[in-house]
Amino acid sequence: MNAGLNLVLAGSAALFAIGAFATVARRGAIVTLLGTQFMLAAGGIAFVAFARFGMGAAHATAGASMALFAGASAVAELAVGLAMAALIYRESRSFSVDADRG
Amino acid sequence: MLLIGALPQPITSAPLVVLVYLVLILMIAGALASVLLRSTLYAIGAFLATMVLVALLYLTIAPFLLFAVQLLVFTTISAALLIVLLRETTGIEASSIGPFSREWIIGAAVSAALLALLAVVLGATVWQVQVCCALSQSFGDTLTTTYIVGLAVLIVILAASALGCGLLLAAPTLPSPRGGGSTMSRSPSGGGSTTSRSPGGARR
Repeated sequence: MNAGLNLVLAGSAALFAIGAFATVARRGAIVTLLGTQFMLAAGGIAFVAFARFGMGAAHATAGASMALFAGASAVAELAVGLAMAALIYRESRSFSVDADRG
Repeated sequence: MLLIGALPQPITSAPLVVLVYLVLILMIAGALASVLLRSTLYAIGAFLATMVLVALLYLTIAPFLLFAVQLLVFTTISAALLIVLLRETTGIEASSIGPFSREWIIGAAVSAALLALLAVVLGATVWQVQVCCALSQSFGDTLTTTYIVGLAVLIVILAASALGCGLLLAAPTLPSPRGGGSTMSRSPSGGGSTTSRSPGGARR
């Protein structure tokens, strides 16, 4: 039994799918934002996995750098998204992002 | 670019393989819980647990600096942002459970057992991540040389998001034509209702 590229990529794909489901299917602004966070984290994991196990190992730090950039972008997106969620809540007393709130 | 030499080998150390499997399974379970739980507070807790598990995964296959940044910076900032949002909107009720109650003691025991398990795995394993840890210096060098433009762009993005976040929160709330939760009172001729909706009224 070993842990290689396929295993980590499978976990990354599952995390991305869960994030996509949350982004598409859920109505709450917070859960939607969490879904985008999962999708970005999955991308970072895939970068790191390719850098550790795959052809990208010739430049092992490149994958980690990309994961770092993706994580920081995710935090920036979360900050702006949560500010927008706070505005939605102020306006309608709900986190629902549906247009049919009235 | 062609890779010189053989591809890196997968992890074969049994305890480390078990740890990677465990982290991946728990990570997916945490993400599912975060999406499916109806309580916002519990969903945020599951999300933070998933982020911690992502950091643990980085510990096994990535440079140590990435693990530290993921755990100490990204997870902490995300937690702070989410908790502040909850406090500013729906509010977080104070727990009615005392600090020495049965629930707290059981929770502390489970946490201590998990920490001890992790310590045993770390102690009993020829920790291959040590090879990665030596990359921390070159990782920093890579960031400040090869990816210096990307780093600068990232700083601009973070500053812009902080500025945008502040501007959004500082903006006055406009009165909603649907009679939303503005605290301003409106005249009946203004077209909006003067009653505010209940907090859980429009939720799914």
